[in-house]
Amino acid sequence: MITGYFLRQGLNRWIIASLVVILAIGILVPAANLLLPAGHPLHVPSYIVALFGKYLCYALLALSLDLVWGYVGILSLGHGAFFALGGYAMGMYLMRQIGTRGVYGDPTLPDFMVFLNWKELPWFWSGFDQFWFAAIMVMLAPGLLAFVFGWFAFRSRVTGVYLSIITQAMTYALMLAFFRNDMGFGGNNGLTDFKDILGYSIQSDQTRAALFLSSAVALALGVLLVGALGASRYGKLMVAVRDAEDRTRFLGYRPEFVKLFAFTASAVMAGIAGALYVPQVGIINPGEFAPANSIEIVIWTAVGGRGTIIGPIIGAILVNAGKSAFTGLFPEYWLFALGALFIAVTLFLPKGIVGTAMHGWDALQRLRAARRHEEGRHDGPAASQPEAAE
Amino acid sequence: MSETALALAEPDEPDVMTGAEVAASGKPAGHREDTILYLDGVSVSFDGFKAINNLSFLLREGEMRAVIGPNGAGKTTMMDIITGKTRPDEGEVFFNGNVDLTRHDEPAIATMGIGRKFQKPTVFEGHTVDDNLALALSGVRSIFASLAHRRTIEEERRIVEILETTRLSHLRHTSAASLSHGQKQWLEIGMLLAQSPKVLLVDEPVAGMTDAETAETARLLRDIARSHSVVVVEHDMGFVRDLGVKVTCLHEGSVLSEGTIDHVSADPKVIEVYLGR
Amino acid sequence: MNVIKRMTVTRSIAALFAVLAVLLSPSMATAQDSDVALRQAIAGLGAEKGYARLREAINVVAQTGDPRAARVLGALTEGDVYRRADDGAVVIVSGRGQQLTLHDPVTGEAIGTAPKSALDKVRVNNSVRRSVRAALGGLTLAAGDPDIRMTAARTLIATPDPDSLAAIEKAISDEEDDAVRDALENARAGAILFSGADPETRIAAIETIRNMGGQQALSLLARMPASPDQGVLQAAEDAAASVQKRLQYWGLGQNIWYGVSLGSVLLLAAIGLAITFGVMGVINMAHGEMVMLGAYTTFTVQEVMRTSFPGLLDWSLPIALPLAFLVAGSVGFALERGVIRFLYGRPLETLLATWGVSLVLQQSVRTLFGPSNREVSNPSFMSGAFQLGEISVTWNRLYIVVFALVVFAVLLYAINRTSLGLRMRAVTQNRRMAAAMGIRTPWVDALTFALGSGIAGIAGVALSQIDNVSPNLGQGYIIDSFMVVVFGGVGNLWGTLIAALSLGVANKFLEPFAGAVLGKILVLVFIILFIQRRPRGLFALKGRAVDA
Repeated sequence: MITGYFLRQGLNRWIIASLVVILAIGILVPAANLLLPAGHPLHVPSYIVALFGKYLCYALLALSLDLVWGYVGILSLGHGAFFALGGYAMGMYLMRQIGTRGVYGDPTLPDFMVFLNWKELPWFWSGFDQFWFAAIMVMLAPGLLAFVFGWFAFRSRVTGVYLSIITQAMTYALMLAFFRNDMGFGGNNGLTDFKDILGYSIQSDQTRAALFLSSAVALALGVLLVGALGASRYGKLMVAVRDAEDRTRFLGYRPEFVKLFAFTASAVMAGIAGALYVPQVGIINPGEFAPANSIEIVIWTAVGGRGTIIGPIIGAILVNAGKSAFTGLFPEYWLFALGALFIAVTLFLPKGIVGTAMHGWDALQRLRAARRHEEGRHDGPAASQPEAAE
Repeated sequence: MSETALALAEPDEPDVMTGAEVAASGKPAGHREDTILYLDGVSVSFDGFKAINNLSFLLREGEMRAVIGPNGAGKTTMMDIITGKTRPDEGEVFFNGNVDLTRHDEPAIATMGIGRKFQKPTVFEGHTVDDNLALALSGVRSIFASLAHRRTIEEERRIVEILETTRLSHLRHTSAASLSHGQKQWLEIGMLLAQSPKVLLVDEPVAGMTDAETAETARLLRDIARSHSVVVVEHDMGFVRDLGVKVTCLHEGSVLSEGTIDHVSADPKVIEVYLGR
Repeated sequence: MNVIKRMTVTRSIAALFAVLAVLLSPSMATAQDSDVALRQAIAGLGAEKGYARLREAINVVAQTGDPRAARVLGALTEGDVYRRADDGAVVIVSGRGQQLTLHDPVTGEAIGTAPKSALDKVRVNNSVRRSVRAALGGLTLAAGDPDIRMTAARTLIATPDPDSLAAIEKAISDEEDDAVRDALENARAGAILFSGADPETRIAAIETIRNMGGQQALSLLARMPASPDQGVLQAAEDAAASVQKRLQYWGLGQNIWYGVSLGSVLLLAAIGLAITFGVMGVINMAHGEMVMLGAYTTFTVQEVMRTSFPGLLDWSLPIALPLAFLVAGSVGFALERGVIRFLYGRPLETLLATWGVSLVLQQSVRTLFGPSNREVSNPSFMSGAFQLGEISVTWNRLYIVVFALVVFAVLLYAINRTSLGLRMRAVTQNRRMAAAMGIRTPWVDALTFALGSGIAGIAGVALSQIDNVSPNLGQGYIIDSFMVVVFGGVGNLWGTLIAALSLGVANKFLEPFAGAVLGKILVLVFIILFIQRRPRGLFALKGRAVDA
């Protein structure tokens, strides 16, 4: 049923190709880590698996931002908040899995609550000992926040930079809140010292491989979702809202609902990315809410090319690989590089890498078509294209 | 033009008009229920500046009307009020004789059957001509329906038809961004038609067009007027004359003169407004 | 409770002692004659056994009237006075562990060390401490400097003690300074509350305390021993209620003042943004970094003054002001010419590019000055505080409030009355028309942006006085600044002023209920909701022009 839906939307070959690549990476990288011996030239060391697992989560996060920014034109500077909320929901599950293995050995209370002299679990922590519950909250918490926030913002027609600034204020306010000890989320230190997930040790190579694969699958599903949305009539509507919101309104559409749907879906995607991220890095703290983090997501998307599907993925991986390399070699200069990247991309590469490449490709195609047209006029006008294709 | 006074009109339409609100002055002549658009005693001001001042205007079903007037006469604001973009401070705005437009917002008014073309051509530049028309086609408006929607044969037929009417068939799969100014104007009119509205509000359709394009647009609009009610706002007097319809001249937010183009352009008040200052 | 009380007592004695220690050094030589008498009296502290005897010995020391006695008495309450086992000499001891340093009880000079075992501690209890307090009060009440007498009187008010009544009475009759005498009378009233005086006297004392007002009066009334007399009880209750009420008003005033003070900081941070964002419509995420540059300019100027012209140290701020304006202004100019002008009409891209600039600026400063906080000291005219009724006003805050208003007024003048301002307004209202009239619009854009940035730099000078000067300084202000400008209504300087002040006051009023962080969050949430209600801010422009 669902596959049928996706197929009917006529995914183009680029999307199918990227799906294949992502899934191949998802299987081959952990396999090369687990199955090949350490000395083997193709062996992938565990730390690389962890690092690339992180990148996959970032890629999904960038893709989620692309859905709202690239397609609907909402520049959210608060997507880090949705990511962090998903991460916290997963972190709460992982905390409750620690059980008596914490420093204080309390069977229900996480260490930081014992430390704060709390006597019982706050109500909002209940249920998180069940994975299914946590999994629902991973999507529900960011989704609900996005829905409520978007409901107010889009209905009152807050647009453009105003919207960007209040999304930034939103994540800033959440950061301040999560820094507080009495919020019940571990304050400054956040949630950490996780032991296992679904009964498997979080440190083991097998678990890491499974998490890597899950991230790849989640990313592939994200690509599928964004691709299908983009190809549907709703996708065209999103772009229409981005290009001329007033026009859609006078055509009888309600752009606020178009935006709300995309924003909420995007927040859920970001939440899932955060949930997969936390077990792989082993910690979630309020720093994830920092406005600077959210803006960084924007630059990943911009570098790769917003409004494209593989662009944000490539952007997220490139920028973060660059960050890892830079902070290893000259930690002093990473911020210079990042700052320069922001300036350079906006000034010289506004479509991003993939966007520019696609633009060039299109121009080439047009040129070729024109030449063909010149050669054989008797061929008549170009045959009408399949209507739903990108 | 004068017919029965309005204050006695409406016992047969319970949901809409509250008798007390009927303005005591400036009553337009005619029964509300005979009209497709009915504005009476409408005023709106921005920061103390009265953009529309006690304006009364009515349009009959199937009528085409040209609205002229100098800059700042309130032409665009009048359209804003009809389409729900601006709420009037006072006065009545009715569609189809019985729908109070001041209680509805833009999308609701648009789906009722009032289409609007902006002064500056506004099309979806990220889409092809075909997609622009497909999005405008009446029918699917909800998010969830649009997620699963597939184009029907009927829709395809309508698009082809509109492409022919607007002479854009050869540009069907071209991106709207690469159309010429005049082609964008036509595309926007085409999108209006795709909405299957009862009333079309067309704001300066020939601004920036060549003479040939202007003549073509006049033909297009006359075509459309055969099956729709149309209000055209335009500066170009030659174009208005081409249309050959009743003309309303606005000035400082109210009606200055109304009648045939010859009558209006001979009206000393109109001459004074256009030339006198 | 008891522990806390004792701590405050000890602390106030320590304060007295500190005041005395300053006073002591110059008077040393003239007091040579009484030296012997004092030393004899002090020796008595070590000789006597039992607390009652010790108290008598303390009175003997106090009766010498020698201010230098304060040192040994102060040390006594701290438990630092010991008797040397071998010769019975009284010494003051410092240090920890087994080997202690010995000091002369009169001069405080180090006179060698001794193992702990060779010393006997002179033990004290609360009644001894009270005697010391009374004695010290008496000593300082006789001091020559009225400021010291005032401090002594204040200490006595804070620590009422019937034992010191006699000393106070004497001091009142000797006192010539009116303010000090008032304070002494309050002290006497306080002491009476705690004495066994007859009801009428006590009611009169309560009246005096009530007129004194303040938190201290309230605590005195609360602490005074219960009286069997109904009249006294009633009077005390009434007085407490009236003091409480007055305190509430003062508390309100204090909150408003804190709020205005915070508001003026917000105003300073936001006012440059009101130009670049409000007037030009440029989203400058590097605005906070302009503030930071101003703060670092101040730091640099101060360092240069400290090393090269120590005499001009107090002039660092006035010198830094124009420099900060120039530094931040020229960075702003370069930013506009180098980046922003290519992005006009693309606000979201401007936002990203200027964020990149902010990262570069932060890292540059971090590389140049190091990542840690830099100390910018308050010049002498800006340090300290004064008391306005129950409100304590620090000079630096007051200066910043005044400064913010002056900057605001100057800016308002610049925009409305100067030719650059005229051209600025012309360009923002109708760029093409302005260009057609011969205004060099690119030049005006650059200057306007430089002006906004320069003002941010000036704000940095002021903020260096109350905030940590670190590379992250600007980050803390950027969101607040945007909130202020958006809340006030874009393109409206007066709106910015009102928004800054009202947000500041709102923040401070929320703090007591919600705590500082939660208060801030509430204000943020409020603004978010507000923007959604009125996207164009408090003082919005309406009509067609907005949509154009």
